[in-house]
Amino acid sequence: MKKAIFVDVKKCIACKSCEIACAVEHSQTKNLFTAVYEDPLPIPRRKVEYTDGIIISDACHHCEEALCVSACMSQAMYKDKDGTTQHDETKCVGCWMCIMVCPFGAIKRKEKVVVKCDFCKGKETPACVESCHTKALKVVNL
Amino acid sequence: MKYLIIGVSAAGVAAIENIRRLDKKSEIVAVTEEEYPHVYSRCLLSYYLAGEIPEEKIKYRDDNFFKDNNVKIIFGKKVEKVIPQRNIVLLSNSETISYDKLLIATGARSKMEMIPGKDIFGVFGLRDIKDAKNIMSVLPKCKEAVILGGGLIGLRAAYALSKRGIKVTVVVKSPYILSQIVAEEDAEIVQQHIMKNGINILTNLAAKEIIKVAENLLVILENNEKLSCQLVIVGKGVQPNIELVKETPVKINYGIVVNEYLQTTVDNIYAAGDVAEFYDITTKEYTINALWPNAVIQGSIAAINMVKGNTKKYEGTLANNSVEFFGLPLISCGITKPKTKEFEILVKKDLRKNYYKKIVIKDNTIVGLVLIGKIENAGVYRELIRKQVDISLVKQYLLDENFDFSKIIPVIKQQKEKFTEKEYKEIILS
Repeated sequence: MKKAIFVDVKKCIACKSCEIACAVEHSQTKNLFTAVYEDPLPIPRRKVEYTDGIIISDACHHCEEALCVSACMSQAMYKDKDGTTQHDETKCVGCWMCIMVCPFGAIKRKEKVVVKCDFCKGKETPACVESCHTKALKVVNL
Repeated sequence: MKYLIIGVSAAGVAAIENIRRLDKKSEIVAVTEEEYPHVYSRCLLSYYLAGEIPEEKIKYRDDNFFKDNNVKIIFGKKVEKVIPQRNIVLLSNSETISYDKLLIATGARSKMEMIPGKDIFGVFGLRDIKDAKNIMSVLPKCKEAVILGGGLIGLRAAYALSKRGIKVTVVVKSPYILSQIVAEEDAEIVQQHIMKNGINILTNLAAKEIIKVAENLLVILENNEKLSCQLVIVGKGVQPNIELVKETPVKINYGIVVNEYLQTTVDNIYAAGDVAEFYDITTKEYTINALWPNAVIQGSIAAINMVKGNTKKYEGTLANNSVEFFGLPLISCGITKPKTKEFEILVKKDLRKNYYKKIVIKDNTIVGLVLIGKIENAGVYRELIRKQVDISLVKQYLLDENFDFSKIIPVIKQQKEKFTEKEYKEIILS
């Protein structure tokens, strides 16, 4: 079984609520109005991208055969028991091998380590999905 | 069934995990020449040397790794010879180990300079933990160091020592650094940046001798210039450890030649990692791209084929590097310095911002990439290279500063047959 966040490109209107919800969820204070004053600013792990009339909100797909996991030389990137791909910042040395291989460009740098979608570990529904006004984002079990 | 794995670095460890995942019962024996009784990551040695991580962190698997996977591990024994006719290997102490299926993941070793003085204590490679510890042992008395070689290993070592406050000179035989992975115009940016940060780089020069003078080492260069130091690190690339199958039916070219199942010319012997030679996706030639991600994937695929018969194909290797010096990252992939005119090169740069992007195209497919400064989305390009996708539809976006995954969606729609992974189906396009 694999948990996934489905992205329905037809429904996305690029409101970026998902980006904001993601950044807030991964902030220290978990509150939009205080998170904006944090230094460093929290980094959204989901991004709304555009091209030729196509809008897509995209983040880590928690690939079954995750290239980032096989490229990681410090075991910072790993597959969790629930099938999600997780990242342990304390083991990351910032070699950027995962960025080199991620087919979705879903891994970002945060100073000396990387960050990516963690499926809002510990939360029933990921913040991005909760925040999506048009239901373009949906959690599915494949 | 008895599996024997020679070598427990990237490929060997990936193989052990995959064999055990698929076959809970069979016997697995692993043997390594190294005495260090842990699984550790070679690529982290330079971080360890720089003092950025403690020794504990170079271990990239738990101390119980072998026990948890029910593997009989033999440390500190070298496999001298494989005898395919008898399905046994001969160890350095004349013991033998039998196998039903064998994986050769012996990796590679540092190419040492063949110059007088290379064996003096204080002249080291940087390949294994022993090298790293030797280097660490001389650090307290080291004020100046000389690095021979301007490739990845040499420069990572130079960077590590410089982080420790040591005055470092890098001697490079080529006209520019990183000449194995990028072109001169690409390397120039990184070279300037490294020199600005205090590392001295001498190009078009080689050492001809190293001598010991009292407490110091003296590196004598071809132009008779002398560099005094207390430590020399040789970073001249690596060569595959193939000796164990010499004069056997296992075919050797530069490395051990394997087919798309990572199988050698002997049916029950497989090879993976820095020792295995296979088809390169971009050059379409047989070669060794001795790199961590390649080794892990090869080890995994070899394991699956060893357990289930030849069921999983390997797509081929890619030259693919990621490195950072003093905050400036570089990622390269595929053919970065084409020699003939059939290649088209797209470049965008803003050197004040240390921004540089180069894309090499042949027959409407991307075959090479260099990103400096801004490296995000490197993997999106890499996927186009790996899948050898026709990029005509999105060519205008390739150099875009905001290039990201969405830009290749038209190509995914057009060439669905190449994007078959489940994950692409999670995006409902139309």
